[in-house]
Amino acid sequence: MSASRIITLSLFALAALGFAALGLLSRREGTRLPSLGDISAFVMDYRVGRVPVGRIALLGFWWWVGFHFFAR
Amino acid sequence: MDQQPAAAEVVRPWDRAIVMYPVFALIAVIGGTFGSFTLGAYVLVLAVGGTLFSLGLTGRAGRRPAPGVLPKAALWWLVPTLVFAITELYSFARHSTVDHPTVSLLADPFLDHYLARAAVYFGWLLAYWGLVRR
Repeated sequence: MSASRIITLSLFALAALGFAALGLLSRREGTRLPSLGDISAFVMDYRVGRVPVGRIALLGFWWWVGFHFFAR
Repeated sequence: MDQQPAAAEVVRPWDRAIVMYPVFALIAVIGGTFGSFTLGAYVLVLAVGGTLFSLGLTGRAGRRPAPGVLPKAALWWLVPTLVFAITELYSFARHSTVDHPTVSLLADPFLDHYLARAAVYFGWLLAYWGLVRR
């Protein structure tokens, strides 16, 4: 296994651990750390005029994720 | 464009975990049987994704209220997000090789197994449902 592959895998693992750790910390009682769901809701609340840009972007992004992994 | 969403506490007969989770499990069980680049896979992802996209946009499913302001602690989420995004973009720019794999390349052998594919499909649907209800 090459060094660049090990570094790449380590960085992905580090990011995954970071998400998991923050997810757990955000569930603690009295924490000021918002959950990923709260952040998603905040982003999805973003509008330009009457157009729910944030909602379209996040829902569209997740649709694309499914398409990318399960169909393409 | 966006009609008034139903409040989260207004639960429609179908808008509850005991109804939706088995439906998602059934979709995942079926979706797991379709390999990539097959007509079934395209149709299912487009149909299910389109339905959830539409539900999320129109607010027909109940929504939980969004926080008006995020505390500064929210910035901590940027750390793993940036580590992931920079690694993925760098690998993508290097044409996603064995030495510089993207998540797609790493996931492909895993998703070749039916149970893994169905489980990830189920996770994708649950997360999508979570977004729809936000």
